[in-house]
Amino acid sequence: MVKAVRGTLVKCDASIKAMLVDIDSSLRNEFIIEELDEEHVLVKETKIAELKQRLQTMLKERLKEPDTSDSET
Amino acid sequence: MPPKRKAQAAPDAEGWESQEEEALSDQETFDKLRDTFDVVAMSKRARASRAVDAASFLFRKCDQWDAPLKADHLNRPLWVDDAGRIILESFSPIFDEAQDFLINIAEPQSRVSRMHEYSLTTHSLFAAVSVGHSSKEIIDRLEKYSKIALSPSVIAFVEKSTSSFGKAKIVLKKTLSYIESDDPSILRKLLKDATIAECKATSSDGLIKEAAPKIGMMAIPGTKMAAGANQVAAQAAAETQAPETMITTLREEDDDEEVAQVHSFQIKSEEREKVIKRCQDMGLPLTEEYDFNNDEANAKLDIDLRPHAQIRYYQEKALSKMFSNSRARSGIIVLPCGAGKTLVGITAACGVKKSVIVLCTSAMSVVQWRAEFIKWSNINPEDIAVFTSESKNRFPRDAGIIISTYTMITSTRNRSYDSEKVMDFIRSREWGLLIADEVHVVPANIFKKVTYSIASHSKLGLTATLLREDDKIEDLNFLIGPKLYEANWQELSEQGHIAKVQCAEVWCQMTPEFYSEWLKPSSVQKRALLSIMNPRKFQACQFLIDYHERRGDKIIVFSDNVYALEKYARKLNKAYIYGDTPQAERLRILENFQHNDMVNTVFLSKIGDTSLDLPEATCLIQISSHYGSRRQEAQRLGRILRAKRRNDEGFNAFFYSLVSKDTDEMYYSSKRQAFLVDQGYAFKVITRLEGIDLRSDLAFYTPQDRRELLMDVLLAKDTDATEERIAGDMFGSRFATTGGKGRKKTGAKRTAGTLSDLSGGQDMAYIEYNKSRNKELKKKGIQNGFLRKLNRGSANAKKASGI
Repeated sequence: MVKAVRGTLVKCDASIKAMLVDIDSSLRNEFIIEELDEEHVLVKETKIAELKQRLQTMLKERLKEPDTSDSET
Repeated sequence: MPPKRKAQAAPDAEGWESQEEEALSDQETFDKLRDTFDVVAMSKRARASRAVDAASFLFRKCDQWDAPLKADHLNRPLWVDDAGRIILESFSPIFDEAQDFLINIAEPQSRVSRMHEYSLTTHSLFAAVSVGHSSKEIIDRLEKYSKIALSPSVIAFVEKSTSSFGKAKIVLKKTLSYIESDDPSILRKLLKDATIAECKATSSDGLIKEAAPKIGMMAIPGTKMAAGANQVAAQAAAETQAPETMITTLREEDDDEEVAQVHSFQIKSEEREKVIKRCQDMGLPLTEEYDFNNDEANAKLDIDLRPHAQIRYYQEKALSKMFSNSRARSGIIVLPCGAGKTLVGITAACGVKKSVIVLCTSAMSVVQWRAEFIKWSNINPEDIAVFTSESKNRFPRDAGIIISTYTMITSTRNRSYDSEKVMDFIRSREWGLLIADEVHVVPANIFKKVTYSIASHSKLGLTATLLREDDKIEDLNFLIGPKLYEANWQELSEQGHIAKVQCAEVWCQMTPEFYSEWLKPSSVQKRALLSIMNPRKFQACQFLIDYHERRGDKIIVFSDNVYALEKYARKLNKAYIYGDTPQAERLRILENFQHNDMVNTVFLSKIGDTSLDLPEATCLIQISSHYGSRRQEAQRLGRILRAKRRNDEGFNAFFYSLVSKDTDEMYYSSKRQAFLVDQGYAFKVITRLEGIDLRSDLAFYTPQDRRELLMDVLLAKDTDATEERIAGDMFGSRFATTGGKGRKKTGAKRTAGTLSDLSGGQDMAYIEYNKSRNKELKKKGIQNGFLRKLNRGSANAKKASGI
């Protein structure tokens, strides 16, 4: 039987896509329906909010934010 | 208690303990504090807790929101804030005048195109007084230029810092350090301090009293040197005034000293900078000046600048600060790379005319310094001795010059008999001047050792980038002296003394495969390697090299990482040099780079950062770097500042920094640029190189190639990814041999194998992929004399027929 899933197209940088895939694979493939190409992914609509959340925390963890404090003080 | 209030009360409690119990409500505390601070109004904290508006967080250090502007503030170029920071508008009509003054009394922090920032420090004010500014004059002139009335705290600071000048001095007699003063009570005061008493040499009890040396009419020195320099250099307006002020200051000093007796006590040489530091804290900074003209104890050195040596105006300014009142003051002169630091050092040596010791970072620069001395001064080449691992000379006469490296002087290992003898020779005598080249690289503890083993009357530090990531730079203030002069990079490049540079940061996307590897938790080195070996970066590098080679530029590519260096260079078929490259090969490659049209690109590892002098390079690409080191960035930029073609119309040198997007490199890159941005350089960000998409001949074009590269990188050992250590360089291990020259030849190697393997019987053919370009350059043509002759003949014939 054909099963239809509502999806949202996510357009992002290649590096962000790599992060999304990383999140997806670490959580039992719950987010991504289809990887289209380097910059486009189809994601389950219901999971968008959670995915955003996880991406935020991942970005925070992985990347050092350029700090601007010393130039301003 | 609501959290907001807690936060509000916390800073108060720290500084103002008496206010604690009054923290009843927000508003009341706040008003109360405000009242107190309006009276006291001195501390930074006070300022910070008063201001409350949307922008106040930007002025945490110092908020001048309520300072009234003077009526004619538009005509005045300065802001002076309570923290001693001065902001100067560079578009003001009296900018030049104000700048000349500020450079004397304050340290430049940042000089971008429209705004310059300076800061008043005790060191800078101290230097100002010794140049001849009185505290009243400093305050008056600041008041004159300032848009707002000077706050009492700044005035108090200036007065406090300047009043204590010259009360006590530190002098050197027969290689021992003494503290000297006209007034014994000052010395007693110093000796009461526990730290200083501890540092006092035990051999001497009480104060030594002796008659002050007779100071007769002294010819005004310093000007003699300046005059010599002036014969060829353009006469600076400031110079004509200088002698007059010098005379007056001299007279004043003479008067003081002629009546007084001099009291002194000896201190332990090794505790010298501790004493200096302590005295500074006590508000009695020690003057460290060398009256070289009246020093009869040390033999004179016959050295003078050659007439063709041209001192540029900024070099003259720097030197005039060093020799301001006819004595040599210790300190640091900061000039951009390629602006003639060596000549400043040589001129200083010609001024002092006593024995000089020069310390550099590597054996290579020892050779360069010696050559420069011979080129610019009339010194007898015999009098210049070189003390490195290869040659251990001494000069034959009483005075001379020794050039050595920091590592040679501070080595703690057993020395050979020869070098021990030279060291004894160095230790046993007094030196008029110590020139410390690239002084920023020297760790404080090493320099301490240097100052301990070399008794020098004055010290001159030379550097382009007076900064360290570890804030050890402050120590140099005590070890050498204050910053005497810092040149304005932008001004020099506009006048054509150094090249104009276009800086760009190229953002390279990571490919998905590389990025997903990068995301995986792995060692720092591995991640760094992945971001360096990013194929997009590789392509960008190749693209830029192609582009600039076609324009006729000479390109240097820098990579800190040797693994990447080798990969890049071999893939692109370019020559490369790193720490392990033998000296002969290095020289051959550099020679080819300079003169051979076929070799336009050379890959360099960290060894290229400071020691190599490549006047040909006009374009620089950086693919990997040492974390957030601002110094490295500036030193690398320095490699192209001396470009020979810099005076051509519209000539620009190029500085590219390739950064892999969304990796740590982005973070470090922004840090690294901080220093250059302060010097007024602007970095353009390039997100996409025009035309790179159209090229299909770039390396790693196909996904297949990229995957192979990824495999290679993943298989690379962690040790490959670490940064190289360079022997004999101050960046690498501390006590290594000097330079690569003296390296031992590797002996025979023994490997097991069958004879058929070696003879090709095992069906093996030898093909070399990814050959090193270095090998190609190695061939110096045919070695046999006869064949060479034959060859030359036929080549000439060909040439002749071609024409």
